[in-house]
Amino acid sequence: MALLEIDNVTVRFGGLTAVDEVSLTVGAGEVCAVIGPNGAGKTTLFNAVSGNAAIGSGRILFQGEPIHGLLPHQISAKGVRRTFQNGGLFGDLTALENVLVGLHARVESGILGVLLASPSARRIETEATARARALLDLMEIGHVADQPAAQLSGGQQRIVEIVRALATEPPLLLLDEPAVGLAPHMREQLVSIIRRLAGQGIGILLIEHAIELVMSVADRVVVLNYGKKVADAPPAAVRADKNVLEAYLGHV
Amino acid sequence: MAQPIVTPGPTSPTPRAPRLPRWLFWLIPLALLPLPLYLDQYRQYVVNLILVYVPVAIGFNVVIGNLGLLAFCNVAFFGIGAYTSGVLALKLGLPWWVTILPAGLMGALAGAAASVPALRGVRLFYLAIMTLAFGELLRWVYIRWVPVTGGSFGMSVPPPNVFGWVLDNEGHKYYAFLALAVITVVLTDRLLRSRFGRAFMAIKDNEQAAAAMGIPTDRYILLAFAWSGFVVGIGGSMYAALIGHITPIAFDLTELILQFAVVMVGGLGSLTGSVLGAALITTAPEFFRPFPGFLELLFGVLIVLVILFLPRGLASLLARLHPLFVDRYYRD
Ligand SMILES: Nc1ncnc2c1ncn2[C@@H]1O[C@H](COP(=O)(O)OP(=O)(O)O)[C@@H](O)[C@H]1O
Ligand SMILES: [Mg+2]
Repeated sequence: MALLEIDNVTVRFGGLTAVDEVSLTVGAGEVCAVIGPNGAGKTTLFNAVSGNAAIGSGRILFQGEPIHGLLPHQISAKGVRRTFQNGGLFGDLTALENVLVGLHARVESGILGVLLASPSARRIETEATARARALLDLMEIGHVADQPAAQLSGGQQRIVEIVRALATEPPLLLLDEPAVGLAPHMREQLVSIIRRLAGQGIGILLIEHAIELVMSVADRVVVLNYGKKVADAPPAAVRADKNVLEAYLGHV
Repeated sequence: MAQPIVTPGPTSPTPRAPRLPRWLFWLIPLALLPLPLYLDQYRQYVVNLILVYVPVAIGFNVVIGNLGLLAFCNVAFFGIGAYTSGVLALKLGLPWWVTILPAGLMGALAGAAASVPALRGVRLFYLAIMTLAFGELLRWVYIRWVPVTGGSFGMSVPPPNVFGWVLDNEGHKYYAFLALAVITVVLTDRLLRSRFGRAFMAIKDNEQAAAAMGIPTDRYILLAFAWSGFVVGIGGSMYAALIGHITPIAFDLTELILQFAVVMVGGLGSLTGSVLGAALITTAPEFFRPFPGFLELLFGVLIVLVILFLPRGLASLLARLHPLFVDRYYRD
């Protein structure tokens, strides 16, 4: 059984069909890249999976269960986590606090425990904070843990957003253009993070424009054009595909 | 299916931001204990009024500063608290201390009711105007529901009574008020430095991303409003005890602007700021007393200056002085 199964999904905005009968699957430990020109419907496909866009027809299954129709926070709680194309960090919160929000579902203290500062509520909080710090250290940005996210560099923000998304060890991670604006050494770091996560069995759906990055990290590449899937193959095969060249030559 | 593991290392080399030891906080109320020995009844009344505005500002700030929603129903919670306390004391003969919790709970209920437009997705100016209308609607009820509220003339509340002691001078009220201010500060601080408070601020910064982190945003919006109503409702019952007479005019738009000024001058989203704002705005007219006729002008100038030069209020001044004073929303 595939981890994520997108089955014949269509998303419409008024008269515009942003995603048109797209099907694809992502397995555990697999990196599946979604490429295509601007406006092809990549982000909308992510929104459909994460519950931010309603689908007109089709099905989306996660671990065999339908998730379309659920609310975003319910889908997140099931283990589908995402990052946002335009940066989804909480700017006023520090990097550490951002990761703690990512751990929200894991910090299971009740409101009475919090108000009474019960020992268990305190312990849950300190453990979560320690874990958040450790995760930032693991991704080599521990030194900015206590800085407001809005003051971090673009690259640091991208990494914090990924850390925040994977803090709860989700089985599936959706990354929307994580490499935009990253300096070359940060890109290398990103590639190694993606490889490491996939090596740990996390399924990754990745939207990316940087072709070299896609070619080096993806197991499979799905190409969208005008909302339609025009290719779905290993990177090398996609590179040689005529449809793909057309999709790109027509736009870029 | 087996969960993939992202195993963090056992120890954390991250340098930690400097933190004030939490117990230092308790020195403040401790140092304030002997105050009645030094103040006459009038000055003591002004200090008590500051203590009333502490929960009032804290509660307002939770919704507009931490949750980040433009909701202007704070005076509604304040009035509900005051009237609940007053009606229970006057009509049922309950001692004041017994009415404090019901005042908070009625405030929380009003908070839940006032959150409905926000839960329906109403935001910004639309939310501002709808919540304003909520407050004005309640004021209409205070005026019209004469048998219970005494209408426009209001109602006189018996002197506050705590465990059988009648607090008939300002110094006595002071200790009850100090205790309530400390309790509301401590509880709100705990709430804000937990996953609940972080969820509020996540919603403020990016609602969609908050939901993507598994936060049921509606539930937290409701909670923030209810908590705000609870704390401000307690402030209302303190107000009833302090003034001894409640009238609808005390809960009008002028009062709302005053409370808004307290939060803005103190610092949006800062608990410390709420306390500082309450202290400054409540005492400011006293400092302007030597310049009769200029009170409103000086008051306006003060607010404009603070907001112009300290857009994030007095709290940001404190945070700029030393990183120890920066608010942190976690527990190490
Ligand atoms: N919320 C929305 N409302 C209306 N149209 C939208 C919305 N989101 C995306 N679109 C449209 O859907 C199409 C696909 O957009 P998008 O998924 O963002 O493309 P990509 O991520 O591939 O660049 C575009 O034409 C875009 O204008
Ligand atoms: Mg996009």
